[in-house]
Amino acid sequence: MFKLKIADIVGEHCVTSEDGQKVYDEIVPRLRSNEEVCLDFDGVSVFASPFFNFAVGQLLKNFSPDKLNELLSVDNLTSDGTSVWKRVVQNAKEYYQNPRVKEAFDTTIEKEAEEE
Amino acid sequence: MTIASLFPIPTLNDTPTDFDKLFALGNTVLADAGHVIFDFSECQFLRPNAIAFLGGIARLIESKGRTVRFDFNTAPDKVLTILRQNDFARCFGHPVFLGPGSSVPYREDRTDLNHQKDLKDDIINYLSNEWLGRGWVHVSDRLRNAIVGVVWEIYDNAFEHANSSIGLYSCGQHFPRLGILQLAVADFGIGIPDNVRHYWQNHGLTQILSSAQCLRWAFKEGASTKKQGTGRGLGLKLLKDFVNLNHGTLEIYSQDGYALICDRKERFHNNIKNSLKGTIVNITLHCDESYYCFVDELPVGPLF
Repeated sequence: MFKLKIADIVGEHCVTSEDGQKVYDEIVPRLRSNEEVCLDFDGVSVFASPFFNFAVGQLLKNFSPDKLNELLSVDNLTSDGTSVWKRVVQNAKEYYQNPRVKEAFDTTIEKEAEEE
Repeated sequence: MTIASLFPIPTLNDTPTDFDKLFALGNTVLADAGHVIFDFSECQFLRPNAIAFLGGIARLIESKGRTVRFDFNTAPDKVLTILRQNDFARCFGHPVFLGPGSSVPYREDRTDLNHQKDLKDDIINYLSNEWLGRGWVHVSDRLRNAIVGVVWEIYDNAFEHANSSIGLYSCGQHFPRLGILQLAVADFGIGIPDNVRHYWQNHGLTQILSSAQCLRWAFKEGASTKKQGTGRGLGLKLLKDFVNLNHGTLEIYSQDGYALICDRKERFHNNIKNSLKGTIVNITLHCDESYYCFVDELPVGPLF
């Protein structure tokens, strides 16, 4: 298993999309090779959605949830971090895995336009 | 020789009327071609939203080759004290910093996240130590980190979307008698409504959206105008949920649009008389720890 210590590449604040992309770029080739990956958040104190959007949300574009549950695990993720992670993943899953949700979301703005 | 014009700064609180006065002042100053002197004689009080905005307007004018001077000699003691405590006065030429008092420092971030390696940590430390960590709000380290993570979304939105050539301007204040803590973040870039309009025009929408419609959409879960990534944003939705859960207030003025999140209600308006080129986010939190709780934790289960 490949263990990635997030604080070593991002620092103690996991908040930006740029940092999320760094993590994504690090793990995606390994996941494609069916290698197990563990993200270790020891030493990270602050989390925000842009980081998780890019680090893990976009994985759902190319990997199924089952495959990711099989290959990807986390260590030392605080409850706040877990909460943001789950919101991001739930959001991304709905968007990528359910075409009807995507369609409904994309047409929301058209309804907005018709309201006024 | 270019003539300098005198612009009186009125008393500026944080009601919609105050914001309207603020934007009117900004538009008048920007429309003038000469050098600028701001006069405080008529000003009895300035809230952080006004201070962040005035700092940004001053830098915007300077970026056009005009000079700006704040005439601190005209400021009543109470106003000068605030401006010296939050370091605004020193940033604009007044020599003496008074020490922070109940002010949260005025700050200018005139770059973007890609060009300054430590900027992310600098802003997080500002929120954590200078804003929340002064003992005014009694929250655990865990809750403080969670609040900082949510409020970071304001900065991330501005860095990601506003493309403000002169950067971001922040200021805060603790109001002990009111038991509230405020933070205002201003940018002078592309407003949220124009960002939403451009995004949807590129996706084939032909109708013209009002600013209120654009703001309403921006608060929906999954709304994002980012070109890459997951295609679904959460930042404003997370901010809204946090403010609703903790009885705070979130206001966004962007171009001629206005969004108010308060008491679990959302209001979106177009009716600002004087519009802003850019966005101001104003967040108000209670200092009483009994108002705070965590978002319901989701059940333990698979990560995906």
